Amino acid sequence: MATPALQVSGLRVTSREGRVLLDVPALEVPAGQSVALRGASGAGKSTLLHVLSGLVRPAAGQVIWGVQDIATLSEDARARFRRVTLGLIFQDCHLFEELSALGNAALASAFAPAPDRPAIRQAAGHWLAALGLGSSGPRKVDSHSGGERQRIAVARALAANPPVILADEPTAALDRVNADALGADLAQLAATGGRTLITVTHDAQLAGRMARQITMADGRIVEDSHA
Amino acid sequence: MPDLWASLSPIMQDILLALLLIAPGLVTGAVVLRGLRPLPLVGAMLRRFFWVNLLFVGLITVSVGIGVGLLAQERGLRQGTARAAEKFDLIVAAPGSEVTAMLAAVYLQTSDMALVTGAQYAEFAQAEGVAFAAPIAFGDSYLGVPVVGTTTDFVTHLAGPLPSGRPFATPTEAVAGAYAPVAVGDSFTPAHGHGPASEDDAHSGFAYTVTGVMAPTGSPWDRAILVPVEGVWAVHGLSTGHPPGDTRIGPPFVPELMPGTPAVLVRATELWGNYALKSQFTRADLMAFFPGTVLSQLHGLMRDVRSAMSVMAVLTQVLVTLSVLVGLVILVRLIARSLALLRAVGAPLRFVFAVVWAYSAALIVSGAGLGLAFGWVAARGISALVTARTDVLVTASLSWPEAHLVAGFVSLTLLLALLPGWLAVRRPLLSDLRN
Repeated sequence: MATPALQVSGLRVTSREGRVLLDVPALEVPAGQSVALRGASGAGKSTLLHVLSGLVRPAAGQVIWGVQDIATLSEDARARFRRVTLGLIFQDCHLFEELSALGNAALASAFAPAPDRPAIRQAAGHWLAALGLGSSGPRKVDSHSGGERQRIAVARALAANPPVILADEPTAALDRVNADALGADLAQLAATGGRTLITVTHDAQLAGRMARQITMADGRIVEDSHA
Repeated sequence: MPDLWASLSPIMQDILLALLLIAPGLVTGAVVLRGLRPLPLVGAMLRRFFWVNLLFVGLITVSVGIGVGLLAQERGLRQGTARAAEKFDLIVAAPGSEVTAMLAAVYLQTSDMALVTGAQYAEFAQAEGVAFAAPIAFGDSYLGVPVVGTTTDFVTHLAGPLPSGRPFATPTEAVAGAYAPVAVGDSFTPAHGHGPASEDDAHSGFAYTVTGVMAPTGSPWDRAILVPVEGVWAVHGLSTGHPPGDTRIGPPFVPELMPGTPAVLVRATELWGNYALKSQFTRADLMAFFPGTVLSQLHGLMRDVRSAMSVMAVLTQVLVTLSVLVGLVILVRLIARSLALLRAVGAPLRFVFAVVWAYSAALIVSGAGLGLAFGWVAARGISALVTARTDVLVTASLSWPEAHLVAGFVSLTLLLALLPGWLAVRRPLLSDLRN
């Protein structure tokens, strides 16, 4: 699947009480670009990431990936969009503790169309090996270290070969060594695979590996710089 | 349609009914799971909340087990009591309660009964169509088991040829039931009466010698000791039904010399003849009845009790099912984050729904299967207790009514398990993912 560009316009997200959580008049991310979303806690970084992934429906505006405005899609259609187009990486991994590393990495094979399942399982094994976890595929994830668990989550995000990776503070729970290793892996994946990578991070070193840095405050983009 | 149903054999009706009952659950499963592969995730969730799941399965197991055990036990008891009464074609006794007379003559339950006189006995012993008329004279005991006076005709009729020893041939010989506490060659002095009030020394100086042991009959007679009725009369200081000095046993008895007997088993030469004899000897001074008829009246009462208990069992199951469903809804909250993750990484709502339903189904089916086994084991245990207490051989086995109960229960609960699945997909995704 070709990597889609992102085009956001007139985006507003409000709380139930009507407070503006996110106000992004315009944002474009070309296909294959790596972007760091930075800012203080509560700046709106994660909310923006959730809107971009279709987990949150905006009060107004468009979120167009390629030619598809996901803000207009039904929940099931957005789920399908995420399965086909996005790889999501969460701050605290979100793994199924009773499944093996391979079972977690190949999670999408449980609900993907039957013809896609073998390829997903094969890709999951491939990415585990590529991330240094080739020998631990059959082990349950609760026996893995924090760094290993986050790499399993990365393998899960990549198993369906999505053209876009969205990561929410992927190194926040890791020590410096593991954070650097994972940051390098992510940057390489984006650079070599032609994937778009958008990551929320407080980690300056991870942000420094991205081609573009967007800083947010109070739900707005206040700085947009390219390396 | 009713004609078509009636034309089917009973086994076919049972099979079809079971399939009809389970069909809604199976169809639900086929529709919910079609094309999906949720089992690895369901297995993970079952392992993750193992003890909670075990508790739920235990609740369902006990609930289903009660229903299954009740049905199996009631049927086993009914069949056991009927089997024990099979050999007792027609009982003749002095007027009174048929139930009391049946419990005394067939099941050897102690009771005080008026006596059939020698003249009355002679009348029906000599009636046309009577194969034999065996007195059943109880009142003595030995080591807690009844010592019953009767004839060799009755011994042979009740248990067939003796597997060990020979029938009694003199007034001081005895034949033991299969599980009576005496063996061939043993001598014993009977106590007068039964239980704590029995008088052990009342018949001192008199002893029976066991000459044979009967084959098992599955009735209370297996623990009884059978002696010639002449011995019972003699030990109580009564005439023996025969002229003084005459030591032979068995009929014919001299009416004037026969002291009387609480009950008489009458067997006709032809089956239909029993009805004529019953009619003939049902009169003001005698009572003739079929124990099977009295028993079926008692079984009718038992069926009413069973119906009431079945309603209670079903209500219990409904309550447990509702409890399990509430528990599943709570469990869905526990696994909400995992379900939210599935949705976040692209699982369709139908898949999430299927995971929750399959998870619920795994608990329900496991509990129902274990409940079937538990009910069967419980029924067998209770049967053993009843057999030990009453000597009526009660055997509990699983049959179609239990299969229908479980099929209906599983089907209903699988349908109800759609509710937790529906609630799961309506949960807020993002807040579940954050929590």
